[in-house]
Amino acid sequence: MIQSLRRTVNVYGAIAAMVPKENLAYNIWVWMQFAVQIMSMIIFVYFWRAVYANATTLGGLSLQQTLNYILLAQIIAPLVENRLIFHFGFLVRSGQVAMELVRPIDFQARYYVESLAGLGVYLVQKLPLFLLAWAFLGLQLPADPAAWGAFAVSLILGQSILFFFDWFFACLAFYSTETWGLSVVRVGVATFFSGALVPLAMMPDWLQLLAAALPFAQALAVPASFLSGITPAAAAPQVWLIQLVWLMGLWVLSRRVFSLAVRKVTVQGG
Amino acid sequence: MKRYLRLYGYFLQQRFKILMEYRVNFLIGATSTIVMQIAGLLAIWVVMRQIPSLNGWNFDEVLLVYGLITASESITHMFADNLWTIGWGYVRSGEFDRFLVRPVDPLFHLLADRFCHDGIGNFLVGVTLVVKAMLSLGIALTPLNVLYLIVAILSGGAIFIALNLITATSAFWIVESIPVTQIVFNTHQFAKYPLSIYHRSIGLLLTWVIPYGFASFYPASYLLGRDVGALAWLGPVVAAGLLVIGYRVWQFGLRHYASTGS
Repeated sequence: MIQSLRRTVNVYGAIAAMVPKENLAYNIWVWMQFAVQIMSMIIFVYFWRAVYANATTLGGLSLQQTLNYILLAQIIAPLVENRLIFHFGFLVRSGQVAMELVRPIDFQARYYVESLAGLGVYLVQKLPLFLLAWAFLGLQLPADPAAWGAFAVSLILGQSILFFFDWFFACLAFYSTETWGLSVVRVGVATFFSGALVPLAMMPDWLQLLAAALPFAQALAVPASFLSGITPAAAAPQVWLIQLVWLMGLWVLSRRVFSLAVRKVTVQGG
Repeated sequence: MKRYLRLYGYFLQQRFKILMEYRVNFLIGATSTIVMQIAGLLAIWVVMRQIPSLNGWNFDEVLLVYGLITASESITHMFADNLWTIGWGYVRSGEFDRFLVRPVDPLFHLLADRFCHDGIGNFLVGVTLVVKAMLSLGIALTPLNVLYLIVAILSGGAIFIALNLITATSAFWIVESIPVTQIVFNTHQFAKYPLSIYHRSIGLLLTWVIPYGFASFYPASYLLGRDVGALAWLGPVVAAGLLVIGYRVWQFGLRHYASTGS
């Protein structure tokens, strides 16, 4: 029992340890993403300042709350752009999926561990962005450790929700070969409904309903609201509970759908 | 010149034969970018319906700016997308060496090699936005205005292509040129909104250094009757100048090209 547990920890630990190495291998891409994110933060700051020239609050949010929220949203937005379906498409096309499926570890668990490790690496990597936003762009972060705790837990839960949603979505790659188009559609929908562009509170009711019915906001708007002073830390247990329900539901669904879809795999022998 | 036009037509014909082999993929590729555009537009709509104007620009006026930059961008997306892929698609693989021994200009060959259908969706969105905004604002589509629009969009497209050409040339030294291109290309995001909302230095940057302002803000200002002086007419001149610089830089890079040997 203990031995098998130790073995599991070792195997998945090794997988997680690979993630930072992979990220460091493509240094110039990291710099590119920095530059692109700084630009969009600057654009959003000027845009929202111009918007608030006409109003003191919008959707119940002050300028400072909106700026906090949007700056944080821009920092974590790339995490919502998961393209697992694109990767699945590649595995099917190249025939590698056959190799992946015969490995003696759980296919899904391996990717989940990778995605959690990726989240950690990402946050460490983006620390300079937090500092920049705080020093030059007017980001005000809460001093209350409870707000940080609520943010951290809901970010991990939200990213997990997104992972299991994407797993379920990526199974489409077993049926269709047009994975690039599907992943672009997925990124477009997620960018808007995660709340990366506009705080959800400013949307009209029908859009808010849609945003609540889709999982994307759980990974971005929900955690960012804790850190930008929109959702009080006291509401955390309730928010976490909703996220747990999402998580359980999508976890069960993703495993069922995968076990059905995987039978459709026809490896082309490439 | 005539020969090149005929050649381009021939390349295009071959490309469409390939694309039409997979019709559904073609349609999805051509339309999927529309979803991304809708996300951005929905965000502007959500905000603008609650306020009278953005720094004195109403919703339709902002759409005009947004539509012009989108249409200009689609020109490079459709006709010069290989400037993105030159590094990993041609230089790294050694494919580029083939262009050098053929009796056509290597740059022409590179661009003509792949018409990119993914830009069609953006083109449709851009043109639709411009026409919608002009109708709502009561700007007549007179022959002069239409001509101005076509020149503005083509000049904007040329500015995009020239800047991508300059940055793509870095592939001759560093092979992987996409990050360099992406950083400069991404500054066009500023030009999706009226430049007057930014600090003066950003406006100057987008006018004289990375002149995306000529692809959206200045032509929009002219059509709306806002006084921007000679800047309303400078777009084609800037575009032509930048193309010349871009071609020079490209030739300089070409002289320093040493194949990867793969």
